[in-house]
Amino acid sequence: MNIKEYIGSGIIEAYVLGLASQSERAEFEQLCAQYPELVAARREFEEGLEKHASEQAMQPPMGVKGKVLEAITGATRGASEPVSSNPPKITTVGNEKRGSSGLLRFIAAISVILLVVLAWFTYRSYKQNKDLESRNAALNEKLNATRKTLDAVVDETSIVKNPNTTVVNMVGTKVAPRSSANVYWDSTTSNVYLVVKNMPQLPSDRQYQLWALIDGKPTDLGVFDSKSDKVILKMKDTKKAQAFAITIERAGGNPTPTLDSMQSQGKTMQSQ
Amino acid sequence: MGILTTYNTEQELVLALKRRDNQAFSTLYDNYAGALYSIIKQIITDNAELAGDVLQEVFINIYRKIDTYDQTKGRLFTWMLNIARNASIDALRSKSYQNSQKNQSLPDNVYKVTANQSIQLNIDNIGLKKVLEKLRPEHRVLVELAYFKGFTHEEIAEMMSMPLGTVKTRIRNALLQLREYLQ
Repeated sequence: MNIKEYIGSGIIEAYVLGLASQSERAEFEQLCAQYPELVAARREFEEGLEKHASEQAMQPPMGVKGKVLEAITGATRGASEPVSSNPPKITTVGNEKRGSSGLLRFIAAISVILLVVLAWFTYRSYKQNKDLESRNAALNEKLNATRKTLDAVVDETSIVKNPNTTVVNMVGTKVAPRSSANVYWDSTTSNVYLVVKNMPQLPSDRQYQLWALIDGKPTDLGVFDSKSDKVILKMKDTKKAQAFAITIERAGGNPTPTLDSMQSQGKTMQSQ
Repeated sequence: MGILTTYNTEQELVLALKRRDNQAFSTLYDNYAGALYSIIKQIITDNAELAGDVLQEVFINIYRKIDTYDQTKGRLFTWMLNIARNASIDALRSKSYQNSQKNQSLPDNVYKVTANQSIQLNIDNIGLKKVLEKLRPEHRVLVELAYFKGFTHEEIAEMMSMPLGTVKTRIRNALLQLREYLQ
């Protein structure tokens, strides 16, 4: 790696300004550990940026600082000493011997009541907070699951949309006139995908098996069931195929097809 | 900078912040709120109230996340600047804000709107945007979309019907020019 060239490539600026991709960031951080001159160049840019930003500083709106400090002191006090304002009153009660004891007792009683009320409020907001947190986590989980499903659907759509993908429509044979399925075959990557449209339910010891016919010889492309929670099944790859065929085999598949159980087949462009 | 009179090094300041020292935090605000507010205003150009809310959120987030700040990855200011930029872009994209700017919520309009906004921006340029002015227009629009609007390189390539490689190279070149202006 020519570090000088790397330093001058604009990566430092992209990294510091948050415009570098995940992989560029990882590479940059790794190289920083190796090349002190890279770190020095990064610092130099950071300092220039900071200086420029300070020169361009604008008066922030009034009141923001107060709100920020209020929020953060609330956070520290809430965590460490939720009822800090009350205990001094109680010690005063113990030390003070002169004066009206009736008034003192009254103050003490009020203090205790305040303490209890405050504790109750603290407890209630703590509980509400917990409750919101768990609801938030549940929502996040749901969101992730939905996102995963969506990603899977998008991936599947991209297979269908890919201009290199050939669609082979497989129609039923005499044995199974209503069976039908589509093979999506990307001949540039050799990827084979199967969309089951209608395949009758099989006994549990049987499975469907997909074959590619290459120069008259069947090659196994994997087994599948009539029902699956996936719309598009990824099968084994093949570079060549003049036709695809589906047979019924024992569960797990057979090395050679049982031809009289042929369920459906379809020819590809390579067969002409 | 004034902050170094109380804290000899940035490291001392960071340590005080990590101890949740409220005094250190107050000093941090006094020294950096103006610079961060400026960058927020450069992203949220037309809503001062929202910009103020974002500034508040940014400092609360700095306080909450200070433990995740890693000095080996960059200066404190860089870290805060990125928090401010991300929060501003998030605010700009949030549902409620988009709804208040009805014609901006249509995705088809994204580029048109951006173009309009950059015309507005040229009238009162501030901060980094002033430096952007010096770039060639075809470079400037890409940096605006990437840095101030937060679009990914891929989104920009699609928006501008430009190869991804070209987008990347132009942004890199523009950043290098920016660097020269900052020096």
